[in-house]
Amino acid sequence: MLKLNALKWWQTYKIAWSKQTTYRLNFVLQIIGPTLIFFFIKYNLWSAIFKSNQEIIINGYNFKQMISYHVWALIVSLIAQGHSAINLAEEIRMGKISTYLIYPFNFWEFHTASFLAFQSLQFFVSAVTISLFYSFGILQDLSLNYLIMGYCFSLFVSIFWFSLQYLTGILGFWLEETWVLRIILMIASAFLSGAILPLEFFPPWFVNILNWTPFPYLSFYPIKIFTGQSIDLIAAYLNIGLWTTLIIVANHLIWKKGIKLYTAAGM
Amino acid sequence: MLIARGLNKNFQSYKKAPGFKGAVRSFFHREYTIKSAVNNFDLDIGKGEIVALLGPNGAGKTTLMKMFTGIIVPTSGALTINGFQPWNRQKEFRKKIALVMGQKSQLWWDIPAMDSFLLLQRYYEISDNQFKNRIEEMSELLQVKELLHIHVKKLSLGERMKLELMASLLHSPDIIFLDEPTIGLDLVAQDSIREFIKDYHRNHNVTILLTSHYMADVHALCKRLVLIIDGKKSFDGALDKFEKILGHEKSVSFSFAEAQERDNELWRDYGPVWSSENTNLALRIPEEKIRSVSISILQNFPVTDFATEKLPIERVMKTLIERPEILQNA
Repeated sequence: MLKLNALKWWQTYKIAWSKQTTYRLNFVLQIIGPTLIFFFIKYNLWSAIFKSNQEIIINGYNFKQMISYHVWALIVSLIAQGHSAINLAEEIRMGKISTYLIYPFNFWEFHTASFLAFQSLQFFVSAVTISLFYSFGILQDLSLNYLIMGYCFSLFVSIFWFSLQYLTGILGFWLEETWVLRIILMIASAFLSGAILPLEFFPPWFVNILNWTPFPYLSFYPIKIFTGQSIDLIAAYLNIGLWTTLIIVANHLIWKKGIKLYTAAGM
Repeated sequence: MLIARGLNKNFQSYKKAPGFKGAVRSFFHREYTIKSAVNNFDLDIGKGEIVALLGPNGAGKTTLMKMFTGIIVPTSGALTINGFQPWNRQKEFRKKIALVMGQKSQLWWDIPAMDSFLLLQRYYEISDNQFKNRIEEMSELLQVKELLHIHVKKLSLGERMKLELMASLLHSPDIIFLDEPTIGLDLVAQDSIREFIKDYHRNHNVTILLTSHYMADVHALCKRLVLIIDGKKSFDGALDKFEKILGHEKSVSFSFAEAQERDNELWRDYGPVWSSENTNLALRIPEEKIRSVSISILQNFPVTDFATEKLPIERVMKTLIERPEILQNA
């Protein structure tokens, strides 16, 4: 029984992988796109800010450290903040999930296996990105230990992010449009996670409050792990673990209620 | 096999007046309407039957299909299929059913059909040997061997439909729901799909519930027909009984080499309908008189063509959709 289930997951994983790599140009852009965007926006922005003096220290960061921070923010976002469940609400609204309700493989199983395929692809993309930046001389202080620790935590965070995306998706049973909700969530998390500005730029009392939320663990703390700065790893794992559990329970309850409202429109 | 009692399904939607004003008004004050899509519906289908579920657009056929397959939950009523309540969606139930939707692809668009089949092999826990045999057998019958490794998006509608059928039958389901399987297909493709379904049913004795707007599908495949109008069952019985709802008459048409007098005792009593040039005549003749009346006309007039109605069911359906009250008086 366990073997049969494992085979279902493995086959779904393979299908999702081949779907992701069907379009070659799309795949190549997926690899180099984030790096190009980084150079166009973030590098230029921080170059302009530090134009007068690159050694000046702003909230504990000189230019080099700031660029390094943002490169790691990019890498963490590649690993931890995937978008494999981004179209879920639309699939519900357009009645496209009907097929998955008939197959003897649950909807969440299908999406989770697809998420795992997406993650392994992102693992590869992030590794290529790290190598690219290393070759540009931007990431000089790489350490295998911190890389492993950073990847482990970022992958753990990716489960949280996927569950959250899944939650906003299945709200599609009630809401006809969820994109506004998703955009708000994306902007809020980009800002509060430290992906736009390091949390040292925020007042300490605010960071203390943020530490109870999952946000700083989406970017700020994974960056700290990758760069070898000491953080309370157990507290970080506990925080994200707890939030993930809560969201998974919520997803289960929302699905149970929402599926009764599903109309399979357009079928 | 399938037992439905007092099945109801209501859908709620909100009304919105057109334009910007309507959008603003509906933002603050929303009026909801409840539409009954299926109303107090009873049905019994035995093992091995092929039943056509017919009705006009919006009658509730697809809603019923969705309830039967467990995709949507009925508002009220009882439904069991092979002892399962479909909306509980137990995996054991899902392994016993198949749904083919003519209007919706179940195959993954960006990959070849064979990849989808391999996935389904795992989902339905089909052994490698069985899988190989079934692929071999069905691809041979449907003549799609060369198409198995082509991306689904590159296939024509007819080709895709054949592969959709294969995908839904790989796990040898006990009951198959076919929702307009021949919609949009050319005549040759329609025919080959029908023949395949007929053969498959004969060889596997599966239960099939079919919806279609093509009466040729119904005529070729089904002995029993269920008519649904406005969410209510209006007829449930044998196809030949349905064909005779409007009386035991058949439509017979004649084409003449030259124009004829409209009034003649030979056809006066059979509801003659003439073409504007008076060269084509359609009559409704009682079955027992078809032979004698036809022979008289053929012997006495310059008939160039003569045809009896091939699908009386089409005429009956059209009449009942336009005037459903006939059934209440029948």
